[in-house]
Amino acid sequence: MNISSPAPSIGKPEKTHIRLGFVALSDAAPLVAAKVLEFGHRHGLTLELCRQPSWAAVRDKLLSGEIDAAHALYGLVCGVQMGIGGPQGDMAVLMVLNRNGQAITLSNRLTEAFEQHGNLKDALATPGRRPVFAQTFPTGTHAMWLYYWLAAQGVQPLRDIRSVVIPPPQMVDALIDGELDGLCVGEPWNAVAEARGAGKTVAVTSQIWPDHPEKVLASRRDFVEHYPQTSRALIQTMLEACRWLDNSQHRKDISTWLAAPDVVGAPQELIVQRLLGHYDPAQFPVQPPGVSFFNEGAVNYPRPSDGLWFFTQFRRWGMLQGDHDDAAVAVALCQTALYREAAASMNVRVPEEMRADVFIDGRVWDGQNPAAYLDGFTSQKSASAG
Amino acid sequence: MLRVLLVTDTDKPIGDLRQALARLGYDMLAEVATPAALPRVVEEQRPDVVIIDTESPSRDTLEQLAVMNETAPRPVLMFSNDADQQLIRDAVGAGVSAYLVEGLEAERLAPILEVALARFAREVQLLKRLADAETELADRKLIDRAKRLLMDRRKMSEQDAYAMLRKRAMDQGMKLAEVARHLVSMADLLG
Repeated sequence: MNISSPAPSIGKPEKTHIRLGFVALSDAAPLVAAKVLEFGHRHGLTLELCRQPSWAAVRDKLLSGEIDAAHALYGLVCGVQMGIGGPQGDMAVLMVLNRNGQAITLSNRLTEAFEQHGNLKDALATPGRRPVFAQTFPTGTHAMWLYYWLAAQGVQPLRDIRSVVIPPPQMVDALIDGELDGLCVGEPWNAVAEARGAGKTVAVTSQIWPDHPEKVLASRRDFVEHYPQTSRALIQTMLEACRWLDNSQHRKDISTWLAAPDVVGAPQELIVQRLLGHYDPAQFPVQPPGVSFFNEGAVNYPRPSDGLWFFTQFRRWGMLQGDHDDAAVAVALCQTALYREAAASMNVRVPEEMRADVFIDGRVWDGQNPAAYLDGFTSQKSASAG
Repeated sequence: MLRVLLVTDTDKPIGDLRQALARLGYDMLAEVATPAALPRVVEEQRPDVVIIDTESPSRDTLEQLAVMNETAPRPVLMFSNDADQQLIRDAVGAGVSAYLVEGLEAERLAPILEVALARFAREVQLLKRLADAETELADRKLIDRAKRLLMDRRKMSEQDAYAMLRKRAMDQGMKLAEVARHLVSMADLLG
């Protein structure tokens, strides 16, 4: 790639200084790479990275305009769009920043019981309190991966366990203190838990939904309407960063930056291990797919059926009611036209609109019939009247 | 007496509020300094008000309690040193009732706490009214469906179908909507 060639020009950005929010996780790598290597300059943008202490803060600052765009949990953006448990705002998913790369860690005690009983349901019934699992945000991706994984093994997440939210950097301590039996979180926190002997990574999220969407580049709908050129330039910039990350040497390079106390603040060797998709071979004789950032553009297209999937899960777990047209909401949320323009100008291939994925429980999601897909889950809350 | 919980997991001087509020006669619960401890304290000690820093990592923990647990929502006061309060206020969610500004004198806190509580009580009432309205609408749809079933299958007039549903409700001591629900689900079963 020739970095010094002039940017494919579509139109000058209306706004050139962009404040980007992120949370201390390894998959903030595209934002960190874009800043460190100033990929934005070529597209007329200066980036300012703003680390946020919580996802609630990311949401509030996106809505208030204090930040322009952010590295955000796909499910959080969907939750804000529907106004679940907080303010409603019309959001914009500019692109997917990564797929896969999250994991489920069990405490040592539960890992042992899991191995002994051979199934999770019996392992969770071993005497003691109601099991406590941590995730990162009520409508977030980790909550959805955790609930899906539990339900696929006959464990009803709303009844059989207690689900709490703990900020990722504090999860490992909570596991060590015996306050948690398991957790679902992004890296490097699963690797940190394992390295500190607090628990074991027993599942990675690509086993739950292969190539699932994870973090997105999120903004507000009115920002995109006011600043279409800026939004497009931002997609171009991040596409360049994601493409750069599809190289193991580059992933090693970025891990040193990610390790810094003002970025992720965790040991570099643990960050790089999971960025390269290396999991304990004793637990994973066949290495499952790790995080992907680009994969010839297959990662980044903001496919509306990805967003729609989160709405089906919100309904499954009783977080979303009402008869709005979820598919139409997902189409408005995902900025496919803008993305296609940006991708074309960068010679990035746009994948097929239709995708059919087989999940851990054998169910297939192709985005075609969300109502029938939802009906297929037996563990959904009892149907409402009418 | 109002039970107040301070979440002190940032280095802002939020802990200083403790003595000031205690002096004003509030029942100050033991402070929570880690997000892991927060769910249990909220559940067991049932604070009337939670005061937390806008920059606190524990905010996501509170969000989970608000979304997943119907008994958990309670007024949350945000403590912020942000000069431009309006920015955040615009984005205030369901559970957040007021913002405190850093450096505010304790004497001025009391009225803010009272206002936040009153506003919260009103919001809960509004939400309940909205939920009631939704149930009412769903019930009406259900009764309509049951009526139509009777009209189609038993060739009844609308009036007769309605009378039959009402009589059945009276005889069995059930709500009209319940009778309709049974009828509709049986009809679904029989195809």
